Amino acid sequence: MKTEYVNPFISAATSVIEMVISEPPQRGSMTARPQVFTSQQINVVYGVTGPVQGQVIFGMSVQTATNIASRMVGNPIFSFDALAASAIAELGNMISGNAMTSLSNAGFDSDITPPTIIRGSNVKISTMDIPALVIGFTLGSLGEFELTVSVRERPARAA
Amino acid sequence: MAKRILITDDALFMRVTLKKILTENGYEVVGEAENGLMAVEMYKSLKPDLVTMDITMPEMNGLDALRAIRSHDPEAKVIMCTAMGQKNMVVEAIQAGAKDFIVKPFQPDRVVEALTKFAA
Repeated sequence: MKTEYVNPFISAATSVIEMVISEPPQRGSMTARPQVFTSQQINVVYGVTGPVQGQVIFGMSVQTATNIASRMVGNPIFSFDALAASAIAELGNMISGNAMTSLSNAGFDSDITPPTIIRGSNVKISTMDIPALVIGFTLGSLGEFELTVSVRERPARAA
Repeated sequence: MAKRILITDDALFMRVTLKKILTENGYEVVGEAENGLMAVEMYKSLKPDLVTMDITMPEMNGLDALRAIRSHDPEAKVIMCTAMGQKNMVVEAIQAGAKDFIVKPFQPDRVVEALTKFAA
């Protein structure tokens, strides 16, 4: 996968999270997977459409999601309810939106679809067989979070 | 009298956050729409002084809703409030009559500034 498609998602994740929850994410390991797959408990899934297309997933444990949502809402949240889910989805939305802006500045005008939250681990999501890069992040005492980016340039249509 | 605002965003979290910012700054939130279609219907029935409009939403996106509202009321004041900050998106919204374009994540001050300017 071309790094010019992945880097906007990494830098957007870092800058948006730092601004929204005042906690700079520390980047951890990066691994490659042949397909989109997540073993996290809470997953925010987006489609990317246009000249660069594919899927992006923000995955984390229920505990991390609850911690992040508490910080975003400004009050402690004790169970992962509708407001918490919405906060996490919106965080993912802001990261994807910012990444789209970077991609657009690089000449690729793609768009994102509204987010879907999938709860439950060991989910294989894509049928598109686009390889995925998984980047780990640590958020101080709030926990860890995983960004899975699976995008490619739109294949040319057959004549 | 407090200015009457209609909030449009598919995310519950964002509606709660915007409502908090607006209420704390003396605005009255008269409606909360979860998609573009609801925003158009609610605009017609509530006649708010200003609308905040997300772009990426199910049913009808914010740009189509902006156009529908402005064709119903050419004087309508709509401020886009979205995570999508691409140049073409901003240009399209401004050409369709949006008064301002706020990119998420935003600081509360940025929202208040836009409202002070356009809901006056």
